[in-house]
Amino acid sequence: MDRRDIKKWFKEPAKMGHKYSLWVIYFCTGCGIIEIPPVITSRWDAERFGVIPVATPRQANLFLITGYVSVKTLKAIIRTYEQMPEPKYTVGFGSCPINGGMYWDSYNTIKHLDKYIPVDGWIAGCMPRPEAIFIAVTHLWTMIDKGMADGYLKYREKYKYYRKNQEMALGKLEWSPLYPRENQK
Amino acid sequence: MTEGGYVGVTASSMIMTNKKLKEELESTFKDIQVIVPEDTRLNITAREEDALTILKFLKDRGFNFLTLISCVDWIKENEFELVYIITSYLQKNDEYTQREKLQIILKTRISRTIPESKTVTPIFSNAEVYERELHELFGIKFEGNQRLIPLFLEREYKIPPFRKDFDTREYVKEVFDKIPFV
Ligand code: SF4
Repeated sequence: MDRRDIKKWFKEPAKMGHKYSLWVIYFCTGCGIIEIPPVITSRWDAERFGVIPVATPRQANLFLITGYVSVKTLKAIIRTYEQMPEPKYTVGFGSCPINGGMYWDSYNTIKHLDKYIPVDGWIAGCMPRPEAIFIAVTHLWTMIDKGMADGYLKYREKYKYYRKNQEMALGKLEWSPLYPRENQK
Repeated sequence: MTEGGYVGVTASSMIMTNKKLKEELESTFKDIQVIVPEDTRLNITAREEDALTILKFLKDRGFNFLTLISCVDWIKENEFELVYIITSYLQKNDEYTQREKLQIILKTRISRTIPESKTVTPIFSNAEVYERELHELFGIKFEGNQRLIPLFLEREYKIPPFRKDFDTREYVKEVFDKIPFV
């Protein structure tokens, strides 16, 4: 820990806690699963950054989507995202969730992930190197510090529109709205 | 699958080479083309009606494993080509024989306007899931398969998406591009 950070720790202890313990739920949808084992094991050792993989969305506050998103996985992604406790951050990993990547005219791959859930940051590349994950993590620290990683607030605020988009892609959703009041407005 | 496996294999079939098998196939079936492109491969082209009996014939000779069923869309000829790839498992406490090395490819053509074929599940029960896949992606109906229910896809498609006349660009423009950004 940096000594200069002590003031911050006293001022906003919760925020500093969130920042330095990013517990990750990996959603290994596509090719990205290949990059994750070296990241979390001793070669690149993500725990240096306070990043550790967890088993369930209930324990996580960072959501890494590592690859292309098909219609079927989109459903699982939304459900996972809605189960995570706030504050939660999402990072799209690879060019496929950004704009479809090489699946840009696929019959079954959704192109822009940020139409369905808010995404705080993107890591470009096909596939990005493990180092890119750490660059993203340090960027995310800065964003949390400045209060810019507010995707979850946006999700609550604009839930109506997100839900509408989700229904356009998936048909009728079998789960009830996460924010029923916001959905009505 | 059990009784068709190791038990039913006779000693003579173990030393069968592809040349021998080719002769045997040609003498048993009419309207069949057998090509030997390599030592370890055998390509059979046959009529759709004969496919089932040929598969049965091969299974009786110890080729007891269906690796895959695939499909090719020959849109200009208005035909679908079904491709069955058959091989055999290794003998239990044995080394390779000629039979284990052999990969057999059986090709048959069916009409594109009435895409129907007979199921091969009575011979190879693992064909069920491949037939479901082809039913979903190419719209081919397999007579006799009881479980032609959806396998992968979540959405409805007017044309099955793996057919050549399915326009993915058009589809993406109509469906995913119409969804607005938040
Ligand atoms: S961005 Fe590239 S590596 Fe990643 S899921 Fe897409 S195609 Fe695969």
